[in-house]
Amino acid sequence: MGILAGATPAVLSAVVQGVETVKDLVARIKSKDDSIRGAAWQTAESAGALAVRPLAEVMMDPDFETARAAKRALYRIVRHAGRPGAKHEAEAVTGELVLVLGSAPAPVRREAMWMLSEIAGDKAVAAMATMLADPEVREDARCALMRLSGSKATSAFKAAFAKAPEEFKYALAETLRERGIKVNGYPSQKLVPNRKTTVGESAG
Amino acid sequence: MAQYRKLRYIGYVKFASITRRRFLQTASALGAGAMGLPTLIQRSALGAPGQPSANSQLVVGLIGTGGMGGTHLANLLRFQKEGKVRLAAVCDCDDNRLEAAWENTEKRARPYRDYRYVLERSDIDCVLIATPDHWHAVQTVHACQTGKHVYVEKPASVTVRDGQAMVAAARANKVAVQVGAQARTAKGAWQTCRAIRNGIVGKVRKVTCWHYASPSDDKPVPNSEPPEGLDWDLWLGPLPWRPYNQRYQPANFRWLMESGGGQIRDRGAHQFSTVLWCMNADHQTSYTVEATGTVPTRGLWDTAIDMRAVFEFKNPDWTLEWGQPGDKVGKLEFGNVFWGEHGHLVLEWEGGYKPANPEAINFQLSPGGKEVYRTDEYEDFNMNHKADWFKSIREGHLRPAVDIEIAHRTATLCNLANLSMILGRKLVWDGDKQLVAGDEQANRMLSKPQRYPYCL
Repeated sequence: MGILAGATPAVLSAVVQGVETVKDLVARIKSKDDSIRGAAWQTAESAGALAVRPLAEVMMDPDFETARAAKRALYRIVRHAGRPGAKHEAEAVTGELVLVLGSAPAPVRREAMWMLSEIAGDKAVAAMATMLADPEVREDARCALMRLSGSKATSAFKAAFAKAPEEFKYALAETLRERGIKVNGYPSQKLVPNRKTTVGESAG
Repeated sequence: MAQYRKLRYIGYVKFASITRRRFLQTASALGAGAMGLPTLIQRSALGAPGQPSANSQLVVGLIGTGGMGGTHLANLLRFQKEGKVRLAAVCDCDDNRLEAAWENTEKRARPYRDYRYVLERSDIDCVLIATPDHWHAVQTVHACQTGKHVYVEKPASVTVRDGQAMVAAARANKVAVQVGAQARTAKGAWQTCRAIRNGIVGKVRKVTCWHYASPSDDKPVPNSEPPEGLDWDLWLGPLPWRPYNQRYQPANFRWLMESGGGQIRDRGAHQFSTVLWCMNADHQTSYTVEATGTVPTRGLWDTAIDMRAVFEFKNPDWTLEWGQPGDKVGKLEFGNVFWGEHGHLVLEWEGGYKPANPEAINFQLSPGGKEVYRTDEYEDFNMNHKADWFKSIREGHLRPAVDIEIAHRTATLCNLANLSMILGRKLVWDGDKQLVAGDEQANRMLSKPQRYPYCL
């Protein structure tokens, strides 16, 4: 686990305690009792990075209330970690979310991308950019990466554009143009209508 | 098309960059006064080439026919009957609603599912947008880019960056963008505004708003197939794609943060607009905001059931407090209280649907007092607000009562309050820089990148 590298005994002890806290949090998230599950996700912020992957797993729970509670708990963690002056917490949570990108099902990866869009720095760009090649996740990935303003993200968009299938190139071209990059071809589709109604014989 | 529009509005260029206030001050300095604008009316009444004259018929399209769209449709049909406009298009991504609206026009307006067909039509001068909130910015910006004047429902936007883009698009394309916070052309809010500005309760240091709570979903349902006739992908538009759920649509979009923003972004957009008008505070764009709230423990909806948001303004110093439910001072479901040095004045609702407090109605302006301008063509304030928009187009000043810049500032209050609640911390808003001071995460969340091609 990357976040434990070089940890002192005191830190390790805290981590063990944290693991217990996470187990307890996950158990409460899985409760069928609204008052227990609701209170669990609404106070999940302090669970921190250790809770990221366990909660990501619960996001695929077949019970939609349980899955939703896990997602909301994760957002609480991300928003707490992103507060001013908590750089290390943000980095730790970012690191765990990047690991989620490598293994989770598409719906979880999509949410993880949006979470990363709030707190990730340049170090996460490479992992986030791999999602641009996945048809199930790529549009959320494109949107999420747009929140990262640096040149690394721009380079990632350029690289993705070069390899992207034709139908996704239009969206990437739009993104690149927004970032001041000249793109030949692939004109904007924003004002091109294509959804016709069946109402009225003269429908457009 | 863009070139055509530039030519079409060439006669407006001179007036496009002045503010409404300066416009009225100029008229006053010329001896015309707020009620006497014939100098400018005369100019537009001549009807420059391609420019609507004072009596010409504007051609209008309606985008979004459910909810408030129904009120707009009724208003437009009345304007049409009076010969002031021609309703040429109705548009909705739900064929069921579209068909009903089309039939209401006696099948005279052309029906569309995709708003971009409406924007393509060079014969259409203006569009009314009454879609769910997450569509407001994209459709407004696209309409401006095709040279249409816009009336868009409140709240102006769901993010701060969307609001900025709307202002920029309106200015760049020299079109009038009116936002549907109708109180600023309604009698009740106007009576309250002139009373407050002229010292009925002395200097006001605090304004409190009360509002009933948002609902929670006690019977969550799983995702399902969208109903027949609804183009779910188009309904989502700028939002990340997800399966249909009955708790999004119809009507429920209001209770989701990304598409509605809860009571504070719905009614708050009305109440804050009125409060800023009464406080003459549209220029006070920097403040702190701290919000707390309780959100539902289950279900899809994620906006606050109860909420408290406190905004602190400086120079002049005053506090705006949103309470959900807050401390109810009046008799009705929601309202505002202006707390002054010499007492307080209540305004029930937002000053549109309900009359002003009798003290405000009976308030007499003292000699030297400052009158407040209001378009006053219709008793019905929904009609009057649209008349104000049409007037700004015909007169060419392009600054209706709730110009997009004013509405963007109002929506920013709502959006930042929700952001503060979500993040669980106080935000220091720098209105000049349009940034939250020292909070990178908050600044990233001032925008939500949109799904292609439904993007700014």
